[in-house]
Amino acid sequence: MTDVAVPAHGLQIAPVGDGRMVISMGPQHPSTHGVLQVITELEGETVMRADPEIGYLHTGIEKSAENLFWTQASTVIERMDYLSPLSNACCYVMGVEKLLGISGEIPVRAQHARVLLCELHRIASHCVWLGTGGIDLGAISGFFYAFDLRERILDLTELSGGARMHPNYLRIGGLRDDLPEGFLRKVDELIAMYYPRMRDLRALLQKNPILQDRMIDIGILNADDAIAWGITGPSLRAAGVPYDVRRAFPYNGYENYEFDVITRTEGDAYARFMVRLDEMDQSMRIIEQARKYLDTPGPVMIADTKYAPPPKETIALSMEALIHHFKIVSESFRVPPGDVYQAIEGPRGELGYYIVSNGDNRPWRVRTRPPSMYNLQVLKKIAVGEYIADMVVMIGSLDPVFGEVDR
Amino acid sequence: MPSSQTPPAGGTALDPTAVRADIGDARVIRVTPADVRATLERLRGEGFTMLIDIGGADYPGREPRFDVVYHLIKLASTSTTLAQIGQPERVRVLCGVPENDPVVPTMSDLWPAADWPEREVYDLFGVTFSGHPDMRRIQMPVEWEGYPLRKDYPLRGPGREKTPRPSFALKSNVAAGTPASGRTAAALQRQIAAARGQAPKDDAQ
Amino acid sequence: MAVNDMPGQFFLAKLDDVARWAQSSSVWPLTMGLACCAIEMMTATAAEYDIARFGSEVFRASPRQADLMIVSGRVAQKMAPVVRRLWEQMADPKWVISMGACASSGGVFDNYAIVQGVDTIVPVDVYVPGCPPTPDGLLYAVNLIQQQIRQGGRGGILARA
Repeated sequence: MTDVAVPAHGLQIAPVGDGRMVISMGPQHPSTHGVLQVITELEGETVMRADPEIGYLHTGIEKSAENLFWTQASTVIERMDYLSPLSNACCYVMGVEKLLGISGEIPVRAQHARVLLCELHRIASHCVWLGTGGIDLGAISGFFYAFDLRERILDLTELSGGARMHPNYLRIGGLRDDLPEGFLRKVDELIAMYYPRMRDLRALLQKNPILQDRMIDIGILNADDAIAWGITGPSLRAAGVPYDVRRAFPYNGYENYEFDVITRTEGDAYARFMVRLDEMDQSMRIIEQARKYLDTPGPVMIADTKYAPPPKETIALSMEALIHHFKIVSESFRVPPGDVYQAIEGPRGELGYYIVSNGDNRPWRVRTRPPSMYNLQVLKKIAVGEYIADMVVMIGSLDPVFGEVDR
Repeated sequence: MPSSQTPPAGGTALDPTAVRADIGDARVIRVTPADVRATLERLRGEGFTMLIDIGGADYPGREPRFDVVYHLIKLASTSTTLAQIGQPERVRVLCGVPENDPVVPTMSDLWPAADWPEREVYDLFGVTFSGHPDMRRIQMPVEWEGYPLRKDYPLRGPGREKTPRPSFALKSNVAAGTPASGRTAAALQRQIAAARGQAPKDDAQ
Repeated sequence: MAVNDMPGQFFLAKLDDVARWAQSSSVWPLTMGLACCAIEMMTATAAEYDIARFGSEVFRASPRQADLMIVSGRVAQKMAPVVRRLWEQMADPKWVISMGACASSGGVFDNYAIVQGVDTIVPVDVYVPGCPPTPDGLLYAVNLIQQQIRQGGRGGILARA
């Protein structure tokens, strides 16, 4: 058991002569942000070649989704990008709504709530990135500040959806039920505590000379390479290309929101760091606008009872409601055959789902376009020539989440 | 999971990709492995510089059986403002791959982004990409047999396909070693009957 | 002369109890964070839940320095030999918490890719249900491990039977 004749990745780790050393960084490592193995060929401290090995978290989510109903598949799909679960669910339900042809009927309140929750989860995901990125460099206090901010967001997720992570609150057709009482008041509290907290975090990290020394001019990625390697999200915008799915292909009413798309041109780890920090502020700007929109009451689920479970209180009173509830829960609805590609701007980049239906009550195929996988692949290129100590900085600045890379 | 309780409702389309609902999410082009490379090179010349994704799909009732799906987007690296980016065009290239010869030319020399997704399509579907520098499994261990995302590969894996799924409702707490709580349906019926002042039912135990 | 009249103080205890008290008060976990549960494990180290007040001041990346392996997350087929090897590399005495539904039984993922319960690979002392369990659940599990250590658990303070 302890001698591995054929390692799982199929490559041999062996001395290559010329004074070079091949080492395996991971898959268990405090700073690889998950189960990543980077097979690095080192000459002294300089990386000559870096081969990331993935698959250590392959969960078969796509195959599981093929065996679950349309309404149930979002539970496993939420577990891909586990730092911002509602983003996955949002993209998936929007794709299915396109196949059903009901995209135009989603109530406005549900769209605003989706925007609010997705942006909250974007901030929560960036909090984890910030905290763990800081810890990798030794800035341990930033971790506590960032995770406390994330706690307030998880409180909101728990209040609305019932669970801190993976609440399965977004449903095909809208939301599971309306935002509870007190939710908007807690959002106001979060908005009030956010700006002082970000000021503290920026004071700790942004101008910190050690952090700047370790991040500036590390892992430089220019715009041409970024596009050739399929990079999206903050890493692409730090390279100078202002591609943001919320602006390019607006969804959920993002065309009604005012926010800036943060772009930098240096393309190094510090630029990616600054883009994400500024993006958090823009997300809070969107949250403030969505919060105002949510003052208006309204339905949160489409009226069509073929897709929307009837309100719980009607089930005991109405036979039709009981039958609809039974049919939706026990055998779900059917989605007309066809295929669709739906993309959103996730915290890591363009998260897309290529959903195929053959008319059944289960998905035929849910192919995920994982932004983290493409963002991580470029490590093969940007790590060459850097020190092994910078590998940690580069992986952190690309911000992969392995539930998404491996699925 | 519903799979043990309700059978699939039965899909109607052997080839869902042929049923083009008017969704407008992308321009769709269907090609064969012989002309997929020329098509993608031509699209790249037209400005579709970013390969967003390469995925696979399995349609066992249809010939060709597999689909390798390329998603591209028109994005110029020289765009520096939102106005220049605009609303990029999306294109989806569906390459039908037959089961008896599942080989497609690689795109990894045109787009370095294609490296890992092609390995993943090979790993999960068995479609090989000729000319790929490193065609080996990426998600499953390298000695794994079978292509998991094919429709004829069992969900729970070939080893556990026939093992019954645990049915928690039928397990007895006492048999499992934890003491019975006494809160059974029969006890509840006795309790209700006692509260109503009636004699307990005969078959209660 | 009674004990209380003597100058100085005596502290009488069994060596076993003292050793167990010391061990249970400084359980250092190994960083075996795999998936979503790992984020809740990290949250348990953060300010609101603070696992450090129970003695787990640091999470050690090296298995030689850790005595508790918290398997937090789903164990994929490729990762299973890694988990086993790390568990073998940990020095005795060692304990294992299986955190979350995926680590305990495969969880939501009853499929080809996920090991159906990490107890098929390593012996587990405490299972924590949840998907993911709240950090409170993890803290309770660590408390249960501490109880197990203080009560003797398996095979005494040094060996793990």
